[in-house]
Amino acid sequence: MIADSSYAEVRRNLPAPPEAVFAAFAEAELVRRWLTPLPEIGLTVLQFDFRIGGSYRFAYHVPGVTTVIVAGTYKVIEPPSKIVFSWVIEPPDEHAGIESEVSVAITPDGKGSELIIRHEELGRIDAIERHAAGWRGAVDQLSELLAKEELHGR
Amino acid sequence: MAMHYGSSLDLTFHALADGTRRSMIHALASGEVHSAGELGGRFRSAQPTISKHLKVLEQAGIVERKVEGRIHHFRLRRRALEQAGRWIVRHQAFWEGAADQLEVLLAEGSKR
Repeated sequence: MIADSSYAEVRRNLPAPPEAVFAAFAEAELVRRWLTPLPEIGLTVLQFDFRIGGSYRFAYHVPGVTTVIVAGTYKVIEPPSKIVFSWVIEPPDEHAGIESEVSVAITPDGKGSELIIRHEELGRIDAIERHAAGWRGAVDQLSELLAKEELHGR
Repeated sequence: MAMHYGSSLDLTFHALADGTRRSMIHALASGEVHSAGELGGRFRSAQPTISKHLKVLEQAGIVERKVEGRIHHFRLRRRALEQAGRWIVRHQAFWEGAADQLEVLLAEGSKR
């Protein structure tokens, strides 16, 4: 398949005000009741520290198949409109160890809310670019050094 | 293995994170364009910009380069895109399913 974008995104109009939608992300007991891909897949909240810098750890039980553990840290919490958290699946899993980020935006929409969840693979894109920049810097210094050597040594 | 898979996926997503590069993939997938020159003609970008994008796609294993004389031919390699596709499909399905359940939960709440 050809990816049209590099992220997963879901937009949904919900029959509740932003405060209620926000609470569904902010309270462990509520999270447990919906944050799974299918009703058959159960969620055990292993850790839940809903504050900036706090971590969560969720165990997803796929009946008769496996348990998948996802963990992350809350990066942005702005009630009732915005939540950003990291999302990393633990081994063993096809997608284990991949850094990704979930951004949740909640806006009022009539009597309810519009929810936008965007999940992107952060990659170590930053790291890749930092490394590239690092190497460019090193190469720059090397060429400067060589230029000096040339000046002084000959 | 997971780390290797992760880092190759990072490169793929990095390559896919740019709209021009995604359009270039589509152009190559359509089979209408094959060379760096043809891509340059289609995207009206300076050739060095096209070359830079192609290099990113090549490093991510999304395209394969074959040089014939002065012409650089490019061909899509599907594997890297399929890996990235699987990640997106899985997470898309996860959040669609979760949003369905959230909708049910909130609807129940409003009835009480």
